[in-house]
Amino acid sequence: MTLQTTYTLIAMVAVFVLCSWKLKSPEISMVITAIVGALVAGFGFPVRLLVEGTLTYLDLALLFITASLFMNFYSEIGATNALIRGMVKTFYDKKWLMLFLLAFVMLVPGAFTGAGSVSILVVGGLVATVLEFMGFPPERRAAFVFITAILSAAAPPINLWAMLMAAGANMPYVGFNKILFIPVILTTIFAVFFFGRGTKARPKSEVLANLPPAAKGMNWLRLSLPFVLLLLLIFMAQYQPFVIPVIGLPLTFMLCALLVILLDPEHRSLKRWWTVATNTIETVFPLVATLTSVGVLVNIMALTGVRGLIAINFVTLPIVWIYVTALLFCPLAQGSLSYGSAVILGVPIIFRFNSVGVNVTVVAAALSLMFPLGDCLPPSRIVGRLSIEKVGYKGSYMQFLKAVLVPWLFLAALALCMLIFTKTFVPLTK
Amino acid sequence: MVILQEIIHYIYLIMSGFFGLLLVRALFKRTTRTNLVYDIVYAYAVIPFLLRALRIR
Repeated sequence: MTLQTTYTLIAMVAVFVLCSWKLKSPEISMVITAIVGALVAGFGFPVRLLVEGTLTYLDLALLFITASLFMNFYSEIGATNALIRGMVKTFYDKKWLMLFLLAFVMLVPGAFTGAGSVSILVVGGLVATVLEFMGFPPERRAAFVFITAILSAAAPPINLWAMLMAAGANMPYVGFNKILFIPVILTTIFAVFFFGRGTKARPKSEVLANLPPAAKGMNWLRLSLPFVLLLLLIFMAQYQPFVIPVIGLPLTFMLCALLVILLDPEHRSLKRWWTVATNTIETVFPLVATLTSVGVLVNIMALTGVRGLIAINFVTLPIVWIYVTALLFCPLAQGSLSYGSAVILGVPIIFRFNSVGVNVTVVAAALSLMFPLGDCLPPSRIVGRLSIEKVGYKGSYMQFLKAVLVPWLFLAALALCMLIFTKTFVPLTK
Repeated sequence: MVILQEIIHYIYLIMSGFFGLLLVRALFKRTTRTNLVYDIVYAYAVIPFLLRALRIR
């Protein structure tokens, strides 16, 4: 039985590598891998299970779409431009404060959507423009955008890796806020000081002349109200659950998006909002497709026993081996499987730690900080590629990786410390 | 509260349908990732949204 499953696993790995190489799409590669896996294991073409798999992460896909819709609507009314313009006007002369604010602006969209790519798409270009005027060389600009983007994806309230692992391990997505927030903030502080060292800024007037003009009628009330509503609904759901009905994050984001439409100072037509919505769907599609494909793959892996095989191998692995290899396998798995890595690799590791009585919330948080490290690794390189494109970096990819390396290692070391010294971090889960 | 919860449930069904239709539109008319591979990816990514909207799953 184990031999048959091992053959299936080998066939699936081979097909995945081949498809990723030939088709250049991790999403379809996962689905083809799932189909081949079912065929090799002797289950034929299990249509029902394949279709059921597409529904596994539908709620997360909805969350992605609605959060991106909210951020893009917010950006459409010129709020993001106004925010960055306001920051430059007020804080440009204070270099470090300005850099921290830019990092904060990068962290927000990803923290609320769970996707670093959303941060890059919404504010990455503007942040890179300001960084250019602040004297950052191109590879350092791309590295700054990349690091803050992966940190934004790992930041609470929405950390998709942690959510997927929690769902896979039948544990609630509770207690992650502080334990994710502190490492993300520490790495952000380190990254800002690391990237900001030795740069010389150009005059403020030049920067303001090159930034898009602020939208007419935009004020602090219009800027802040959507986020006030968002935070209010999130906190009400958390601390006053019996006062309001269960709205859920997707509907919360939709309500905020509707508020953005109402607050639009230029009263854009319905046609314009439709265009923004269709563009958003195209932008966010790789993430939606990844979630759908991961669901299919995971379902077939469970059917064929491959998931169990991987889980059993991890459960019987000495914990020390996980410490030694986690920083190698987690980023590499992220590079090839994207968010699927959390389910396929993360869940068995959680089971392993659970079997020895370790706090699994800390373990899931540590792993969810390791997975984003692979966002710059082949074959997918989604966030790495996006950072380079948005910044307009023309140098070699290796040069970009070198620029990223030190903050990358800092985050890796923090995550590994969390994994090894779990007991120390348990108070942060309360 | 029960009625509100029921309304929210229906809003989610409508949302799934709306995003499903947006994906169907993108399947036939889009500006990025226009190759055949992504035609297939779009085609199967639509499935869960439509199934949820039609209350089949």
